Amino acid sequence: MFEERWVRNTAWAACIVVALFTVVPFILIIGTAFKTAAEINAWPPTFLPVAPTLENFAEILGNTPFPRYIANTMLISMASTGCIMITSSLAGFVFAKYKFPLRGAIFMVILATATIPLEAYMVPLYIMVYRVNMLNTYAALIFPLTIMTFGVFFMRQVIISIPDELLEAARIDGAGEWWIYLRIILYLSKSGLMAIGVFAFSQAWANFMWPLVVVSTGDMYTTELGLAVYQRAFYTEYGPIAAGAVISIVPMLVVFALLRRHIMQGIATTGLKA
Amino acid sequence: MAAPQLVAMPRPGRSRLGEALARMKRNRIGFVLCALGPVLALFALIRIYPIAETIRLSFFDYHITRRRTPFVGLQNYLYLFKDSAFHDALVNTIAFSVLAVVITLLIALAIAILLRSIEKAAPAFELLFYIPVVTPWVPASVIWKWIYDPTHGVINYFLSFFGVPRLGWLLDPKLIVLALVVVSVWKLVGYFVVIYGVGLRAIPEEVLEAASLDGCNAWQKICHIVLPLLRPIILFTVVTCTIICFNVFAPVYVLTASSQGAPAYDLKVVVGEIYSNGFVYYHMGYAGAQCVVLLLFVMSLLVVQFLAFREK
Repeated sequence: MFEERWVRNTAWAACIVVALFTVVPFILIIGTAFKTAAEINAWPPTFLPVAPTLENFAEILGNTPFPRYIANTMLISMASTGCIMITSSLAGFVFAKYKFPLRGAIFMVILATATIPLEAYMVPLYIMVYRVNMLNTYAALIFPLTIMTFGVFFMRQVIISIPDELLEAARIDGAGEWWIYLRIILYLSKSGLMAIGVFAFSQAWANFMWPLVVVSTGDMYTTELGLAVYQRAFYTEYGPIAAGAVISIVPMLVVFALLRRHIMQGIATTGLKA
Repeated sequence: MAAPQLVAMPRPGRSRLGEALARMKRNRIGFVLCALGPVLALFALIRIYPIAETIRLSFFDYHITRRRTPFVGLQNYLYLFKDSAFHDALVNTIAFSVLAVVITLLIALAIAILLRSIEKAAPAFELLFYIPVVTPWVPASVIWKWIYDPTHGVINYFLSFFGVPRLGWLLDPKLIVLALVVVSVWKLVGYFVVIYGVGLRAIPEEVLEAASLDGCNAWQKICHIVLPLLRPIILFTVVTCTIICFNVFAPVYVLTASSQGAPAYDLKVVVGEIYSNGFVYYHMGYAGAQCVVLLLFVMSLLVVQFLAFREK
């Protein structure tokens, strides 16, 4: 876009500065997770651990209920991902390939609520869960994460590009609509569906507000909630907290690294989801 | 392609064909109902109903454990004007949001434009910028809480080289807002670099080449070609980023004071007030009124965005 030499030099300099800003805190936390307690409290602070140790991980995984939190979060995230992949692809398919009255209007309503944050309507959601006596259960934790408006929109965009002739041909051969959904639509939209799965998983994994509200006992904590509560209670135990933070970041990084192409494509094509 | 073939079929087949078509049509209606019905029901239950119910609740003195929940009209809203905690929260949230949105988006825009002149290295940089984006808010805040620590923190160590005395970043009501802005910029900037990158790549190279031939320098190209073409995306990012920042809570929860005595200032934000009124004191009607404020704010932003896109 710009060929001038000074622009290129500025670009390198600015990007390196911002890259340091984004990466250094990240390396610091990983470094801290492997430092001994003495080294963490040393002044001046060290950047990378001098004598790497696993004792922080042993401490948080062995002497706190953190493994339970991880298992809870895994369960919730996977259930939520499954639900969202099913609901998004089904609704996306119907909106993309079938004509029915009020289709446009219903779709607009779904889109309009896409950006309204959970915080704005969590009070009635909580009352609803309270009324059916489901506070502090997995069902309550998963329940608001079973649909994703962005997912419906995204899957509709993906499925719209599948040619109608293919579906017609299948129908002539006697295929039912469910068969078409299961065998043709899911197969041909699997790349988009993966991207939605990644979004759903990371959204559920990173969720903090809803668990904070509905969970009341330690055995139902998620990693995010456990980490936040633990660091408030044992503020000075940097080592185990850093290890906990690393544990809660790693799955996100793995998922992102594995599916980077899908995610970037997802952002590029339909523009847009934090 | 299939349809003309079917019409051309001989007459005797037609009635059977008609039957088959009718059956297919029935199947389709059945499928639409079975497939979309549950999804829409779920959607109504966990999105539409709670949003409507939030508005209704805000007119009641609702307390979850009480039988009687009398209608109080606008009293909850009137109380919003008297509640000094809510005022503080609103002021803090707005100050934080303005700073965070402006700084995040300016850096992201500048970086995205600059990245286009080093096209080869761009994907690698985008990847590095994206690491904080995939980091959830809680560990992100935990990382920064430690960086801000007054005695062991890296920031104070770094500033000490420039002769700056140790600062209690999380103890001072003004500094903590700044500290929160830094965390948010860190977390969000990579996402918006990618979004702007998408917009910039859509600008045809020929336009910029033509401008170069006409003797435009880089700055003129940015001001007169790139920025005007990016306008819709900039508007979108301002709306998205403002909504994200206005809802700030997890980093506040982690970075601010706690009952267990972690040293920090107790910064109030809007969502924090909703949380404590609704789920600590169970004044759900009043929390509902605060939610409506949030809801109106988000909706007005979306309306602005919608109208602006409509003009085009």
